[in-house]
Amino acid sequence: MGQINSKSKKNTSDSNDSTTFLGILITSFSTIFLAELGDKTQLATLMLSAQSGGRPLIIFTGASLALITTSLLGVLIGQWIADNLPRQKFTVITGIIMLSLGSYLVTQGFIEFIKN
Amino acid sequence: MLLTLLFTTFVTVFLAEMGDKTQLTTITLSSTTNKPLAVFIGSSIALILATLLGALAGGSIANLIPEFMLKLLSGIVFLIIGINLMAKSRDENSSHN
Repeated sequence: MGQINSKSKKNTSDSNDSTTFLGILITSFSTIFLAELGDKTQLATLMLSAQSGGRPLIIFTGASLALITTSLLGVLIGQWIADNLPRQKFTVITGIIMLSLGSYLVTQGFIEFIKN
Repeated sequence: MLLTLLFTTFVTVFLAEMGDKTQLTTITLSSTTNKPLAVFIGSSIALILATLLGALAGGSIANLIPEFMLKLLSGIVFLIIGINLMAKSRDENSSHN
């Protein structure tokens, strides 16, 4: 029993190591970039701040710092989860969350496409 | 005055982005890969670039690319990640049995 467990553990870490640093970086970049472009919250905030007579560079700096902080927190939360929760269960849960988000966004996009 | 503006923007964007789907994605990517630094660098660059593009486009990227297209694109990316994760959990499950 213990042997099987250690074997499967080794398998999963092996498959993770085969994904390169650059590969994960590119995946993260493209996913977050696309998700953020479709997200209006931040852009609306930027516009609102700009309208309140501010300097764009200051607003850009403030927004960037805030986003870096939230992504740092996200990474830390993710690492904590990976270390403390059963890996397989969490993979299923995040899989379901991602599938739901994806279906929601595709449906929304489709509805907007029909409306136009 | 400048510092107040910087601080206000920081707090507003920080609160808006906490628990947002972007952060949820970062959490997912970080917990399912072994390289938190790669996820951090990748997502930070993406967020800064998206902010810059948004600022340059006058507040909304939707002026350049139709919004439904952005939603469809990001939706498809999320679906791909979801399918990947489900396949991964299935692999992990079968290696247990």
